[in-house]
Amino acid sequence: MAVIRQDNKPVYVLHTYPFRETSLVVELFTREFGRISALAKGARRPRAAMRGMLQSFQPLIATWSGKAELKNLHGVEWRGGLHVLHGQALICGFYLNELMLRLLPREDAHEALFEHYEEALRALARDEEQSIVLRRFETRLLQELGYALPLDHEAESATPIEPEQWYCFVLERGPVRLEAGESGVQLLGKTLLDMGLDDYSDPQTQLQSKQLMRALVSHYLGDKPLHTRQLLIDLQQL
Amino acid sequence: MKSLTALDQLIESLRCLPGVGPKSAQRMAYHLLQRDRNGAQHLAMSLQNALSRIHHCLKCNNFSESEVCDLCASGKRDAHQLCVVEMPTDLLMLEQTQTYHGMYFVLMGRLSPLDGVGPKEIHLDRLLKRAQDGEVQEVILATNYTVEGEATAHYVGELLKARGLKVSRIARGLPMGGEIEHVDIGTLAQAMMERRSLR
Repeated sequence: MAVIRQDNKPVYVLHTYPFRETSLVVELFTREFGRISALAKGARRPRAAMRGMLQSFQPLIATWSGKAELKNLHGVEWRGGLHVLHGQALICGFYLNELMLRLLPREDAHEALFEHYEEALRALARDEEQSIVLRRFETRLLQELGYALPLDHEAESATPIEPEQWYCFVLERGPVRLEAGESGVQLLGKTLLDMGLDDYSDPQTQLQSKQLMRALVSHYLGDKPLHTRQLLIDLQQL
Repeated sequence: MKSLTALDQLIESLRCLPGVGPKSAQRMAYHLLQRDRNGAQHLAMSLQNALSRIHHCLKCNNFSESEVCDLCASGKRDAHQLCVVEMPTDLLMLEQTQTYHGMYFVLMGRLSPLDGVGPKEIHLDRLLKRAQDGEVQEVILATNYTVEGEATAHYVGELLKARGLKVSRIARGLPMGGEIEHVDIGTLAQAMMERRSLR
C-alpha cells in the first residue's frame, strides 16, 4: 500500500514530548485531519532545521506521512503571521491546548474548529478580554464535538428560552425551568441567549457563562483536573 | 518468580541512562565485566561518591559539593544582580560570555503547564526568598525563548516586581553575524516587532 503523504498543510503545535535522545513526538492540530501525533526525528539536535520551529501558537505548514497513529513529520515551515502571546494570555493559550489535547479525539477532522482556534489565538495576541475569548472557544469546542449545548430552546422541547426566566442547566440535557426542581447550574435565560448570539458585554452573562462552561468542561473531562488551572492556583499561593 | 541475578540487575540498572535500551545495556554490562573490571570499580565508586557529596547550593540551587557553591561564595561577584536560568548548562554558557559578573539562580526546569510542572517543581519559593535577601537589586531573566520559558519569565517577573525588585529579560533578535537573507522567519519577525530606537 502506498504511504500516505500530506504536503504543506496548515497546522498548530499543541504540545511536544521528548522522544529518545534527539527526537520529539509532536501533537499537531491540522485543519483537514484534526489532531494528529507525529514523530519529528532528530528535531532536538542542536542544528536541526525543525528545532525552535515546533513551538505552540505559531502558524506553521507541515509535511508528514504514514498510516499508523504516529506519523513521520518531514518538515515544517512558517506560514507567516505571528501570534505573540504575553503573560496571562500565554497561560490562556496553554489552556486552549490542554482542552484540545484532552477532548479532541485523534484524526477526527474539525475544519471549523481550526478557524475558531486560530481566531482565539489572534484575539489573545490582540489582548482582548481573555475570559470572553475562552468562553467563546469552550462553547464552540463543545458544539463542534457534538455535545448537547442548546442555547435557544429548553431541553427536549422546542419551547424558546425566555430572557427573564431562570433556568437550571442539566448536564447532558440542557436548560430546564428552575421550577422543575432539577439540579444543575442555575442561570438566567438572557445568559443563554447572549451566549448563542456571542454577546458577552453583560457582566452577569460573563459570570453565569463562566459557571456554566466550567461545569460542562469538568463534566466532559472526567476526574483528571486541568494542569493549567492548577498552575494558576499554585501561582496565586506564592 | 525467579529472583534477578547480579548480571540481570546490572543490565536493568544501566537502562536508567537516557538512550540506553535492553540491547545496549547488555553490551555495556558484558563490556564492564569482561574487559574493564577496573573501570567498572571506578564507575561504581564515582557514582556512589557523587550521590553522597553533590547537593543543591543553598543560594543558587545549582549542583554543589559544599553547602554554598564556589560561585556564590566568591566575594568577587556583584551581589546586586541575580540572573535566573533554567538549567546548569545555561549558567555555564553565560559564564563563557564573560560579560556577566553577578549571581545566579538555577530553576532546574521551567513552568510547563501541559506536563504538570508548576511553581513547586521549579523552586519558585526559594527563588523569591533568594531575591529578597536585601542585596539583590536587579533580577535578569535568562530563561529560554520557548513558550514555556516565556511563561516562566512572565510569572517569575510578576512575582518579583510585586516585591519591589527591578526585573529585566535578556534581549533577542538576529544572531551575531546574522544576515537577514538567511535568518529564520520567526526570529526576524520578533526582531522587527521588538526593534529599538537608535541611541
